Amino acid sequence: MLQIATGDPRPINRQIVDGVRRLIASGELPVGAALPSVRGLAQQLTINPNTVAKAYSELTAEGWLDARAGLGLFVAIPRQRLSNDERARRLDDAVQRFVGDVIGLDYPSDVVLDRVAGELDVCLPKKSA
Amino acid sequence: MTDYLIQTDALTVQYGRKRALDKLTLNVARGGIHAIVGANGAGKSTLFRVLLGFETASAGSARILGCDSGALTPALRGRIGFVNEEHTLPGWMRVDQLTAMQRRQYPQWSQGRFEAVARNFHVLPEQKITELSRGERAGVNLALALAQCPELLVLDEPTLGLDVVAKRAFLEALMISCHDTASTVVYCSHQMEEIERVADNLIILERGRLRHMSAPSDFCERVQLWVAEFPFREPDLSVLPGVLDIARIDGFTHFVVFDQGDDFGVHLRLLGARSAHAMPVSLDRAVNGFLSSGHISTTPLSAAA
Repeated sequence: MLQIATGDPRPINRQIVDGVRRLIASGELPVGAALPSVRGLAQQLTINPNTVAKAYSELTAEGWLDARAGLGLFVAIPRQRLSNDERARRLDDAVQRFVGDVIGLDYPSDVVLDRVAGELDVCLPKKSA
Repeated sequence: MTDYLIQTDALTVQYGRKRALDKLTLNVARGGIHAIVGANGAGKSTLFRVLLGFETASAGSARILGCDSGALTPALRGRIGFVNEEHTLPGWMRVDQLTAMQRRQYPQWSQGRFEAVARNFHVLPEQKITELSRGERAGVNLALALAQCPELLVLDEPTLGLDVVAKRAFLEALMISCHDTASTVVYCSHQMEEIERVADNLIILERGRLRHMSAPSDFCERVQLWVAEFPFREPDLSVLPGVLDIARIDGFTHFVVFDQGDDFGVHLRLLGARSAHAMPVSLDRAVNGFLSSGHISTTPLSAAA
């Protein structure tokens, strides 16, 4: 279930994009699953339908979602959606942001790394076999 | 060419010695929801009154739907919906009498839309307007405006004084109907939480002038919070570029800045900061920083106390 929060530094369309990516990556939204309609999600979250449409078109452009004419949007079969440079840049951004957030919390780095590894285990598909 | 529904050029309204609008030049494109924010007295309501032809400008021009605001015909007025903040409606009428009257006045009237919107507020046709609560009156007012199927809907602080449930019903009805009919909405509000949910475009007015216009998310991205620690005497901060607001909290100096990159951190360190961190801000904080930039106080709070 998607949640959005106002007063978050991330704009609402960003929160939707992040949220859907997470749901897909964790398998909660499996390949082929239908997404709520633009109007439906807007109504559910009490936000502007244009904001939902914007987030959906970004997710479609990145290859997370497929549009089927007249039927709506569906979770796409995974493929590498970004160039290597772009992936490296985004990873770098995300790590910088994360480090900035946790640096002041005074946890030893192995505790932090374990937590991250735990989250990733939940989200990423197992590489074994 | 962009299709502008609202165009003002050097629009000025003077009340005695006070200028409510100060050479305001503003172009609002067709489509989407445009939110106007500004401190009290920024000129929002005055702008609406001039645009709708209720008031004459002291100088400059105002056009709405391509027509001079002073020369609106009944046919043009029929294409504009207006919801005022008091939700003033004739109190002696019943809801069904009021809709019957509106139906005669607006050729595009859609009874189905009226009922679909009014249903969210649980208003009965036989109720008298004076017997409605503020939230119900707001709902009827919105339903009336939406049922006339306006090309342009203007709302002056429509959700003021509504409880959370009524507010949610109001916003949902507004957004969904406008999405379905592709009408353009221009509205003003003080409630950032609401604007974040609703607005495609953010217009910031200050003392009768246009300060900023862009999508709310683009605006947010350009505003940042820097937190710096000056271990020794605080240097002269007035040399820093793009500062909107400065606050001193527990030995740290917080800067809300506009359009500054990582260079700002370099500036801070050059001024003697031991540490300097940047972080994103919420829309609420960004707009507040922007509007308070006129009143930067450089006196530390402790000295003022």
